[in-house]
Amino acid sequence: MRIGVEVGGTFTDLVFEQDGRLGVVKVPSTPSEPDRGALNAIDRSGVDLTDLQDLVHGSTVATNAILERKGARLCLLVTSGTRDVLFLQRHNRRRIYDLHYAKPEPLVRRADTFEIRERIAADGSVVVALDEQAALTTIDKHIAQGGYDAIAICFLNSYVNPKHEETVATMLRARLPDLPITCSADVNREFREYERMSTTVLSAYVQPVVSTYLDRFVEALNERGYRGSFSIMQSNGGRIPAQAMSKNAISALFSGPAAGVVGAIAAARASGYSDLITLDMGGTSTDVCLVENGKPTLTGMVEIDGLPVKTSVIDMVTVGAGGGSIVWVDDGDMLRVGPQSAGADPGPAGYGRGGVLPTITDAHLVRGTLQADALLGGEMHADLAAARTSFATLAAQLGLSIEAVADSAIRVAEANIVRAIQRISTERGRDPRLYALVPFGGAGPMVAARLAQELGINTVITPANAGVLSAYGLLVSDYVHFETLTRRLTVTEQGLQDIRHTIADMSTKVQQGLAQFGLTAQARLDVVLEMRYVGQAFEIPVALPSDKAMAAHISASELITAFEDAHQRVFEFGHSAGGQCEVVSFRVSAAIPAAALPALSAPPASSVPITQVDILEHGEPQVCMRQKRGALQSFDGPALVEDFTSTLFVPAGWHAQLDAADNLILRKGD
Amino acid sequence: MQSNQLSVADQAVIGNALIAAAAEMGAKLIRSAHSPIVREASDCAAAVLDANGAVVSQAELIPLQLGSITHTFGPCAQAKPPSEIEEDEFYITNHPFHGGQHVPDVFIYTPVFFDGQLVAFTASVAHHIDLGGGAPGLNPDATDVHQEGILFPPSCYSYTRDWNGGNFERFVRANVRMPDATIGDFNAQFAANSIGAARVRELCEKFSAATVAQAMAGLQDYSERRMRSALSAVPDGVYLGEDWLDDDGAGSGPVAIRARVTIDGSAIAVDFEGTDSQVKTNLNCPFASTVGATAACIKSVLTSPDIPYNGGCDRVLQVTAPFGSILNPRPPAPVRARLIPSYRAFNAVMKALAKAVPDRVIADGFDTTMSTCLSHLKDGRYNIYLEIFGGGYGAGKGSDGCDGVDSPLSNCSNIPIEAMDMSYDFFRVMDYSLRPGSGGAGEYRGGLGFQRVYEILSDDVTFATYGDRFELQPQGLFGGASGEGAEAYVMRGNERIALRSKQSFKLQKGDRLVMRTGGGAGYGDAANRNPCRAERDREDGLLEAS
Repeated sequence: MRIGVEVGGTFTDLVFEQDGRLGVVKVPSTPSEPDRGALNAIDRSGVDLTDLQDLVHGSTVATNAILERKGARLCLLVTSGTRDVLFLQRHNRRRIYDLHYAKPEPLVRRADTFEIRERIAADGSVVVALDEQAALTTIDKHIAQGGYDAIAICFLNSYVNPKHEETVATMLRARLPDLPITCSADVNREFREYERMSTTVLSAYVQPVVSTYLDRFVEALNERGYRGSFSIMQSNGGRIPAQAMSKNAISALFSGPAAGVVGAIAAARASGYSDLITLDMGGTSTDVCLVENGKPTLTGMVEIDGLPVKTSVIDMVTVGAGGGSIVWVDDGDMLRVGPQSAGADPGPAGYGRGGVLPTITDAHLVRGTLQADALLGGEMHADLAAARTSFATLAAQLGLSIEAVADSAIRVAEANIVRAIQRISTERGRDPRLYALVPFGGAGPMVAARLAQELGINTVITPANAGVLSAYGLLVSDYVHFETLTRRLTVTEQGLQDIRHTIADMSTKVQQGLAQFGLTAQARLDVVLEMRYVGQAFEIPVALPSDKAMAAHISASELITAFEDAHQRVFEFGHSAGGQCEVVSFRVSAAIPAAALPALSAPPASSVPITQVDILEHGEPQVCMRQKRGALQSFDGPALVEDFTSTLFVPAGWHAQLDAADNLILRKGD
Repeated sequence: MQSNQLSVADQAVIGNALIAAAAEMGAKLIRSAHSPIVREASDCAAAVLDANGAVVSQAELIPLQLGSITHTFGPCAQAKPPSEIEEDEFYITNHPFHGGQHVPDVFIYTPVFFDGQLVAFTASVAHHIDLGGGAPGLNPDATDVHQEGILFPPSCYSYTRDWNGGNFERFVRANVRMPDATIGDFNAQFAANSIGAARVRELCEKFSAATVAQAMAGLQDYSERRMRSALSAVPDGVYLGEDWLDDDGAGSGPVAIRARVTIDGSAIAVDFEGTDSQVKTNLNCPFASTVGATAACIKSVLTSPDIPYNGGCDRVLQVTAPFGSILNPRPPAPVRARLIPSYRAFNAVMKALAKAVPDRVIADGFDTTMSTCLSHLKDGRYNIYLEIFGGGYGAGKGSDGCDGVDSPLSNCSNIPIEAMDMSYDFFRVMDYSLRPGSGGAGEYRGGLGFQRVYEILSDDVTFATYGDRFELQPQGLFGGASGEGAEAYVMRGNERIALRSKQSFKLQKGDRLVMRTGGGAGYGDAANRNPCRAERDREDGLLEAS
């Protein structure tokens, strides 16, 4: 018996597997104590925890600690001369015309940053010996009395040689045994000191919060008799045993969106699709992600609250276009959608919770692509008149009918999402027409077929029970352990030996990383090299063919070709450039699959009759069939297909077919 | 209100796609470039132009490039009319006296054809690391533009015949010091242009060339409407402002820049009559840069940042400067350090606007690019390090000036110390820190400058710089105090050798080179400062030099 429980901002979702069958539970989240919502969901599921073997959890505890600035009170130790790295940041501005610009605020104060005399060179040699006497003085005089909760250490070039960081950590432990210490070399082994220092500080900042949370949760589970395994979702879409998470909490920052992608991949796989574009459209924003051969694209850096984090994360592009995004007209008479959102509170005008501004959800109500009595399976009734009224001002301003403004607003929102999908596909040299679109989240299925049409995509896969896809994703996720390392090596016959050795060493290390938690099954290895032409400053990821990864037998010419192909794809030049290329960083992961899980099937078809409704869509008034999901196995658009959490729109010219995996597959007819 | 027949949705959808195309061009240019000035300083621009050469959408990467792509197109169109250009051809220019900025900025325009018809141009500009001239990377001693590098007059070449091993490429290769990097960056520009062209053709495919042309016109009208609406809200009047450069770098004493800003209804005119004459050194500002600096100030102070800058904005803003002045010099004046007079033009316009909209302006910041160039010739190959430093921003109503950040007309990233440790074996950065006390006091304090300290590890390292505000400090507004000026010196043993703001210098192994940038000025009386902010600054050690 297994449980996946995902704590989101509004709802806590749970999927459980019992005797080969799946069940789902959805309860309101409890933001002040997220574990309470999770336990409520577990209690509601009726699962006896003494029989449970596996529990996977995803939560926003680390993220919230950062956004709400409720982490540890930190001090930071740095190389002399680098006290201000976190405050200088990268010297650039994110908003170039903002005269009142302020940088993202670091999580440690300047007053709590201390310099230690030492210096290591880029090749790892010691340029200035560690001044241990001075370090001891700093510890006794400033840190011991400082009232700190945790300590972060980040020295220059420690990614090559962490000796000085380790020595100082040992000195600190001897004198201040109760304070948690985070060394940069344990968090991230890549060059560029600002990003590594920021990552180290973020990690130290959330560590105590995450440890406390997990300890409390484990205790509550134990009280309920739980003795099975407990793992946590990471931002890279893989899970890790909870013990490991309490060492590197930063790896869970974006676990929620990652779980959704993993769930979508599993659902599509059941229908035989593995090259996908996932589309998670919620209340305030839409996340899109490109999946190749069943694997999501990963990236090595993200930002949270403007602060960089070097961690392996599923590469998603987010646009401020969700169901709650506000429709407006700017002072140049351009129709705009978002990024401002009415969110859940006050919400769309048609939800009657106090919202008066027109949103995308209101636009769907006005057009008829969302029916007023379709929300939460009919439990909630929207106010169509209020939705219409919210568009009245814009309609007068533009000299258009209310319906025409609503319809135009959705076209603008669709174009914004198309742009996001182009950024992860066309702009990275991938042809979207070769992928299937997988929409989920409340608002995704309403626009998915139109987005597909814009992009030339012919297949849309809509999973059953898409509202709990993230919780399902937790249960199907692999165990994954990641390592990264900066080691700059030119691709020559000589450099190749070092490249192969590095890959081999890291492969062993990632497998050991899983083995220390008793995960000893055959692991799949993925090797990605960050490469560039000598003289460039930015690297591009080059994935090695997985069968070569283990043996590390790749030849120089194969590696150069792989790099040039990747460069050509992204930048439209590469093959003719003819310059030398180099590897800058290595990213290696080991993955062990979880036990197989049945597909997430839909509830039995309801007996609600099929009806006809009038809608307006892309300027075309039309009569559209309305049905509950599962009522028909095979039908043509235009059709609205409703389930508990969402409405799917099938446009005219599209055919829908329910397949054996309970996915509704939309195909564009000719 | 729409000035053409396009539907509201089509205008929004195509307009946004054109803006996105320019942004993608710019992003890819930066990511694939070799020149550190492009990749770290984003000193480049990319744009989509209509078939007449008016900018429709521009990747706004650094403010100084605002408007310049339009200015430079005209002389190219004179070299060969757009109606005669062929699909395989391109325009190129870097000529400061024919619409260009300074010599390192090379403009390339590629025509976009759809169904045999010219529908658009795509353009890119990049600051190249070296285009020959009297010294590697930067020649601070140039006395005319010819010593600053090779000049490409506005001209038209065939890509297949003249580039890719052709005569023009071979000519360029033979005249630059780091040919692989420079040719690589030209290729990055061509690639960016072809990406933009592909996006425009996709739009024509989807909506028809005529519809796209309408949307291009509509987007320019849209920007014009928004500019006019913003300017209408500013009180009409004639406002004066002035600022000064320390000197011409050769001991001239202060050089004045004077701006007369006229706001009349929904239009704005800026005239620099009364500005001092051009100088003998490289601190002259080609007119395209004067326009860019003025547009950037107006955009920052008066209008919403999300107005796409294009030909429509040019209809609202008129800039004039006397020929022969430092803001519109006669050839063959050297112009390499044009950013410094550009900044003083920015400051003069800001001070004029302070009289019209006191709540929206900021006090003087360091507002200078202090460029630091270290070069070393070893085994017949040059290794050139070049970095651009800002300092503290001026404070404004409601906000302290930003500490240690690039100045308003550019937007340069720093080079990480660990990246320098990897790439340069002839120096090592020993200190990179804020300069406490350098921000001017006020109800809102100025931002802090910073310092970089380099230990020199080889003999025969050449240092070159241009900067400003060594003598004249950034001035406060409404009772705020001045920010601290910049300084540079070398410690050779116990000897302290002071450096000037514009000079070159031979460094020896063991020298310590100290570059210190200035802080921003304060806004309002320091007596009114919120005591909590003051206490926090004191705890963090930001107020007094240690």
